[in-house]
Amino acid sequence: MSKVDTSKQKAFLIDMTKCTGCRGCQVACKQWNQLEAEKTEFFSGEGYQNPPAMSEYTFTRIKFRDYQKNGQNEFAFYKEMCMHCEDPACASVCPVGAFEKTAEGPVVYKADRCIGCRFCMIACPFGVPKYEWSKGLPLVKKCTGCYERVVEGLQPACATACPTAITYGNRDEMIKIAEERLAKHPDKYIHKVYGKEEAGGTSVIYLTSLPFDELGFKPVTLRPLPGYTWQALRMVPAAFLTVGGGLSALSWITHRKDRLKKEREEEAATAGEPKEDK
Amino acid sequence: MTAASLVVNEIKGYHRFIKFLILLVAVAAVASMARFVFGLGPTTNLNDTYPWGLWISFDVVTAVPLAAGAFTLGAIVHCFHIKKLEPLVRPAIVTGFLGYSLVCIGLLLDLGQPHKGWHVMRYWNLHSPMFEVSMCVMAYTTVLLLEFLSPVTEKFGWYLPMRVLRWLEMPLVILAAAISTLHQSSLGTFFLIAVDKLHNLWYNPLLPLLFWVSAICSGMCIIIVEATACHKWMGQPNEGVLLRTLAKTLPWTLALYIALRVYSLLVLSNGPFFDQPVLTLLFGLELGFGFILPFFMFTQQSVRNDDRRRVIAALLVVFGLILNRFNVSMFGMMDPNQIYYPSLIESLVTIGIIAAHILFFVLIAKYFPIFEHHPETVDYSLPDRFRKIDGGKGSEETVPVVGQPVAETND
Ligand code: SF4
Ligand code: SF4
Ligand code: SF4
Repeated sequence: MSKVDTSKQKAFLIDMTKCTGCRGCQVACKQWNQLEAEKTEFFSGEGYQNPPAMSEYTFTRIKFRDYQKNGQNEFAFYKEMCMHCEDPACASVCPVGAFEKTAEGPVVYKADRCIGCRFCMIACPFGVPKYEWSKGLPLVKKCTGCYERVVEGLQPACATACPTAITYGNRDEMIKIAEERLAKHPDKYIHKVYGKEEAGGTSVIYLTSLPFDELGFKPVTLRPLPGYTWQALRMVPAAFLTVGGGLSALSWITHRKDRLKKEREEEAATAGEPKEDK
Repeated sequence: MTAASLVVNEIKGYHRFIKFLILLVAVAAVASMARFVFGLGPTTNLNDTYPWGLWISFDVVTAVPLAAGAFTLGAIVHCFHIKKLEPLVRPAIVTGFLGYSLVCIGLLLDLGQPHKGWHVMRYWNLHSPMFEVSMCVMAYTTVLLLEFLSPVTEKFGWYLPMRVLRWLEMPLVILAAAISTLHQSSLGTFFLIAVDKLHNLWYNPLLPLLFWVSAICSGMCIIIVEATACHKWMGQPNEGVLLRTLAKTLPWTLALYIALRVYSLLVLSNGPFFDQPVLTLLFGLELGFGFILPFFMFTQQSVRNDDRRRVIAALLVVFGLILNRFNVSMFGMMDPNQIYYPSLIESLVTIGIIAAHILFFVLIAKYFPIFEHHPETVDYSLPDRFRKIDGGKGSEETVPVVGQPVAETND
C-alpha cells in the first residue's frame, strides 16, 4: 500500500485508566455521524456494555469489565473503534480500493466504489467494518476517524466529547506522552503501548491497567497484515509467465517431435516406394 | 405452431429428472429474488461475525476448483500431447464454462452492490487477492466461452469463426492454464489475511500452492466422475480406457499434494493443532479419506482399471476437496460459541446452482456435438469439406440422451 508520511499523522491516545465509562464518546459519535439508535436490552451481550457489539449503527462502544481489587468491585473500560492502521488490511484486500489511509491519519471508506464483497470484514484483525444487513443493497460502515472534522482542523467528535481519557494529536507525540506516563507511573499501567506496533502500528493508541486480553483487545500480529497476502500475490506475474512460457515451450517440443516423426514416416514411405517400383 | 409452444412441447418431452432440475432452478431463481427484495440480513444467516457463508464457501471457493478439469485436461492433451485423451476435452470445457458462469452468478448474488461489480475493472487494486480472482474469473470465463464456441460453430456450420477458433486453440489452452494457475492459487491467498482467525491446521503460507495442486487433482477426478456418469445415464460410449490413462497421473499429483500438506504442517505451521476435537475430526476426514485413501487406491492398477472402484476413488478426492475448501473458508474460522449454518434461502440458491449446472450440461449435450468430437473424424484444414462430414445438421440423431426416446414419441 502507498506508504504515507507518518510524521504528520494524527492519532488517538486513549488512556483507559482515566475513562469513567460515561459513554459521552458513544453519544457524540452517534450525533456527529447521524446514526440511528439501536434497541437495546440489559445483558444482551457480555457484561454491562450496550449495545452488545459495534454495528452498522454504532461505530464506537465502551466495553465494561468488572473485576475485584482489594476486595472491592471495580470497573475497567475499553473504547472499541476503528484502529486506523498505518498499513490497513481492509485497504489492501479491497478489490476496488474503497479504503484509503489518508495523510491525516484516518482510514476512510469511499462508499461509491464499494461492491459489497465483505472481504474487508474478513481481513480486519480488529473486526471493525460492519455491514448494513438490513438493506437490499448494503454498504460497509465503520468509524470514519471523523475525517471531515480533522481536515477542517477540528478534533474527532468522540475526542471532543471525552472529559478525561482521549488525547488527540500527532502520532509521534501521542506515543511520547504514552511512554512518559508509563515511565512516571509504572505501578498504575500494564507496561505496554497498545497500537504502537500492533498490526504494524495503528493511529489509535491505548494504555490500560488490566491485561489487554482481559479487556477484550484482540491478540494481533505485529507484522502489517497486507504483507501476508502480498508475499503470495507478488509472485503472480512470475507464475503467469512460468506456466504460460513452460507450457508453450513444452507444446512446441511435443508438436515438433510429432511433426518430425510424421516426416520421417513419410520419407520412409516415399523412399520405400521407388525401390518397390524397380 | 409458435416458437413458444415449440419450446413448451420440447420441454414436455424431457425426462422426469430434467423436469425436476428445472423446478429446482426455478425455486432458486425465486429465492434469489427474495434476497434482493428483503435484503441480505433477513434472507441469509450472515451477520457481522460471519460476513461470508455458504455462497462464498461453496459457490465460489469450492466451485472454482471443481471446474478445474477444463484447464488441466487441455494442458495434458495439447501441451503434454497425449492426444488420445482428446474426446474428454469438450465435455470438460462445457463443465468448466458452466461452472464459471455459475460462479459469476453466485458471486453477484452475494455482492452487496452487484450493479457496481464492474468497478473491479475501473479501480484496480493490485494488492487485493479478490481483485486478482475477479479479473481472472472474467478472463477465464471468456476463454472458456471461446473454447465452448467450437461445438456451436460446428453445429451451425459457420466456417469462418470455426477456422479462427481452431487457429486459436493452442494459445487459448495455454492462456487457460496460466490464468487458472493464478486464480486457483489466489483463492488460497484470500485466507492468508485471516492471520489468527483461521485455525492452525489450515493456516500456512503455502495455502495458495496447496489450493492450486488440489484443484488439479480434483479437476481430473471430476472428469472421471463426469465421464462415468455420462456413460451410465446418458448412454455415452464407455471411455474407460482413456480414464485409465488419466487415472495414472493421479497418484503423482495426490502424492505431491499430501507431501506439501505434511511439509506445511510440520515445518511451516505452529501449534496448537489438536485443541478443538471437531476441527481435528474434520481435518482427519479431509486428509485421510479425501486424499490419502484415494492416493493408495489410485496406486493400485486394479482400481484404475475398474470402472466402479475408479469412480469411487475419484469421488473421494472430490469429497476431500469440498471438505478442504469448507474447512478453510468456514469451519476453520468458526467461533464455537456462535455457529453459522446456512438459511433456507441460501441453501435453496446453492442447490439451484448445482441443479442448473447439471441441467445445462445435459441440455448442451443434447443439442450440441460435444461428445462425438474425435479428432480423426474432423477435418481441420478445409471447413468446406467439414460441412459435408457433419452436414451442418447437428447431431441429435446420433446422440442418445436421457429423455430422448420420450421426446421422439411425443413428436
Ligand atoms: S482497524 Fe480494521 S477497519 Fe480499521 S483501518 Fe485497521 S484494518 Fe481497517
Ligand atoms: S465490501 Fe466494499 S469496502 Fe469491503 S472489501 Fe469489498 S468492495 Fe472493498
Ligand atoms: S472518530 Fe468519529 S466516527 Fe470514529 S468513533 Fe470517534 S466520533 Fe465516531
